[in-house]
Amino acid sequence: MSSILKLENLKVRFATHRGQLEAVRGVDLEVEAGTSIGIVGESGSGKTVMSRAAMGLLTGSNVTREGRITFDGKVLSDMSRDEVRNEFGTGMAMIFQDPMTALNPVRRIGSQLQESLRVRLGMSRKEAKARSIELLTLVRIPEPARMLRKFPSQLSGGMRQRIMIAIAISCNPKLLFADEPTTALDVTVQAQILELLTDLRQELNMTMVLVTHDLGVVAGNTDYVAVMYAGEIVEQAPTTELFANMKMPYTEALFKSIPNINMKAGSRLPVIEGRLPDPTDRPPGCGFAPRCNYAQDKCFTDHPELEVAKDGHLYRCWFPLGDSIQRKVS
Amino acid sequence: MRKLWSTLNLPSKISVLWVLLVFFFVVTGNFLPLLDPTEYDPDASGVGLFSPGHFLGTDINGYDLLSNVINGARISILIALVSVGIGGLIGSAIGIGSAYVRGKVDLVVNLFFNILLSIPNLVLGLALVAILATSVDPSIPIDPNRRVFIIIFSLTVVIIPILGRIARGATLSWVNREFIVAARSMGMKDRHIIFKHIVPNVLPAIYAVIFLAIGVVIVAEGALSLLGVGIIDGVSWGAMIGRVAGDFTYAPQSMYVPVIVLALTVIAFNQIGDHLRSQLDSREGKI
Amino acid sequence: MSNHAHLRKDSDVILRVEDLVVEFKVPGNKVVNAVSQVSFDVKEGETLAVVGESGCGKTTLGKALLQIQKPKSGTVRFSNNELTALSKKDLREARTSIQMIFQDPISSLDPRMTVRQIVEEPLWIWSKGDENERLEKVKSLLNNVGLDPELVLDRKSYEFSGGQCQRISIARSLALEPKMLICDEPVSALDVSIQAQILNLLNDMKERYGLTLIFISHDLSVVKAISTRIMVMYLGKVCEIGTTESIYSKPAHHYTAALISSVPVPDPTYKTERTPITGEPPSPVDPPSGCRFRTRCPAATELCATEEPMLREVSDGQFVACHYPRA
Repeated sequence: MSSILKLENLKVRFATHRGQLEAVRGVDLEVEAGTSIGIVGESGSGKTVMSRAAMGLLTGSNVTREGRITFDGKVLSDMSRDEVRNEFGTGMAMIFQDPMTALNPVRRIGSQLQESLRVRLGMSRKEAKARSIELLTLVRIPEPARMLRKFPSQLSGGMRQRIMIAIAISCNPKLLFADEPTTALDVTVQAQILELLTDLRQELNMTMVLVTHDLGVVAGNTDYVAVMYAGEIVEQAPTTELFANMKMPYTEALFKSIPNINMKAGSRLPVIEGRLPDPTDRPPGCGFAPRCNYAQDKCFTDHPELEVAKDGHLYRCWFPLGDSIQRKVS
Repeated sequence: MRKLWSTLNLPSKISVLWVLLVFFFVVTGNFLPLLDPTEYDPDASGVGLFSPGHFLGTDINGYDLLSNVINGARISILIALVSVGIGGLIGSAIGIGSAYVRGKVDLVVNLFFNILLSIPNLVLGLALVAILATSVDPSIPIDPNRRVFIIIFSLTVVIIPILGRIARGATLSWVNREFIVAARSMGMKDRHIIFKHIVPNVLPAIYAVIFLAIGVVIVAEGALSLLGVGIIDGVSWGAMIGRVAGDFTYAPQSMYVPVIVLALTVIAFNQIGDHLRSQLDSREGKI
Repeated sequence: MSNHAHLRKDSDVILRVEDLVVEFKVPGNKVVNAVSQVSFDVKEGETLAVVGESGCGKTTLGKALLQIQKPKSGTVRFSNNELTALSKKDLREARTSIQMIFQDPISSLDPRMTVRQIVEEPLWIWSKGDENERLEKVKSLLNNVGLDPELVLDRKSYEFSGGQCQRISIARSLALEPKMLICDEPVSALDVSIQAQILNLLNDMKERYGLTLIFISHDLSVVKAISTRIMVMYLGKVCEIGTTESIYSKPAHHYTAALISSVPVPDPTYKTERTPITGEPPSPVDPPSGCRFRTRCPAATELCATEEPMLREVSDGQFVACHYPRA
């Protein structure tokens, strides 16, 4: 299968008053066309920075980006900003956590929706209007013609997110980045939006990168999962394989610490003690070692590389779970 | 102190130095070996810059500009500080109080602020001075001290809604934070909530605006003089401008010396105010 | 119109709320019925979870219990005090036995105060002990919530992470040794791995201090870990109330069932049976007639539009306000 997005040794650094902050440090990732991949991590894990860098959206003067980004056969990392911008809409598109800030509050839905249709696809006013009604129907908005006349503030959070999705898919992008698309929404609405995204992906044959902190969201909506911790991918596998056979202690600890609706009521949750390492001062060994129940001396001194197991299961751990190595449980 | 200084950028550093210099003259102006600002030199009327004995020249009547500009700082800064101080205090108190109680009181206060703010600063100040400083009998001039008092009063009225509005807005943004609700749920009295939680958090926003307000008042004092209702007999920057308003073509330095000094002072205060505000914004951003 | 079938005997409840109504005025001279005729009770030592989506009135309810948001009508009886009828002075005193923890851990703490001042504040308000005694108390509270007093006492809140701020909030809320803690979405602003820490801490503190908890949340998986009883709200009304076991194992209200099946399960092999619920909650300014959920309910009929369902018992201790409860 062909890959649509390929990151090679992607690094992102921010210059801060406390020194260089390495938010993403050497990520290799290949996304196959037509699949969906979930990027999971806590805040500070670098998941959002990585996805923005991959889209070429981090352009501040305090940002340094290294590594090679290939999108749809084109080397994005060598292109100018204008050339990268040309890829937006038709090549890739993005939806954000907070649809209110992503929409212009003083313009009607219709004009925001039709803008890219007319500019990018060169449609006439009439064509653009017809197409935008089609798009709103696609994202399951009732009475689409009336919706065009409304302002973002007149809509609920779920409706706004549907509008954002309609705008994102308006130029038939090949790749959709969804950054915490349902975090700000109510549970019943979240379920609807996730269902919509999954359906649209299949109908339009889109590739999707779903960035989220929620393992539950990932489980039902992706083909692959990459778990990020302290700026690195620490585990990556097909979704069913990952959940069935976690190799990285961090993934397992995260999984066990989240409240699960299928657990026994009132049961006490295992917790991950400690916090993420300081991004300006990374420890030499494994970033998770100080919080890991299975850590051994080697983990504190040597940085593990990403290992490949069968079924394309990648992990970054000296002593992966499921191996028969004697563990020292602290 | 050194740490504070190092956070300033170059324009702010220059501004702080300039303001300190002005304050130095406010305090020492009387004791410096300068010509008497109220005595004119009949032999040197309207001489230009760097004339012997008159470093910044004189105006058409022979008043020494250097001496006037240094001694004039006293009244101009006094007017600015007193009216901003009192106006700020009253305005902040009204603003914080009305935002805290809300309801009808706040509605009325806000309406009152809006009405005052809808009148341009200068027009409001001018109107107040004109009404209060007009003597019934035109042949009896108003006592100069009383005139200063009236100007301060009028400019205080100008300042109240400016600061009041800022204080009200800042209070509204803090009063709904959870720690205020928590304080109430712990049984804290309203006055304690205001003085322990709201005032300390609102003050930074007020500090920043106070510097801007000082600039506004200094300009207003000068402008009132130019319009003929400011200080006419005394020694102030406004008075210097007012005296020569009609005929400065003969001795242009008599206009631009006070105007430049006044402008630099206003810019310096504004710069410091802007700096304080950006500091404040970035700290808010961090939280 | 009585809707009190689910209320228990007066003697063993610590909090009893009857027919509580809270209204807001919104622009356009309209009135929002944020909490509409809500009755419930809480027994000492229970953890009652109040569950619902945004706009269901759960946060308003929490504030109305403390009289921070004045109810329009109804009664809130706590221990032996009728909170709605107390004078301002008595209310101040009564409030100290109910404390609150909020969603936003950072905005819960005054950014200008040190941790010591923050935790000491309630003791200062009520002039409890001299300065030394107060400091000792602050230290022991911080210890109890898992913070090292020596490290945190003189630091300000913005130096801490969300989870640590929430610990400080909890320490502060316990300073007056309240009987009841109202937790308004206390973990939803926190990272997933931190949520468990705070939930466990709340459970520990509940035991140590003999607390009764009201836990307000939108997240049914979080609620399952902490509650003993659950009350589900929709648009200001109570839909269903029952023990945690019964609510999860056999939800009787169609809304409860939809909420449960909407929670994403971290298991790719788990197939959720999608309850056919669509759309979003209507505006509370103009709620639907009869049953407020009927516009999204798969089982709604004519009856639901004309007649508001009353709470009735469907099984032992489980009450539902629905004309056609799920079997």
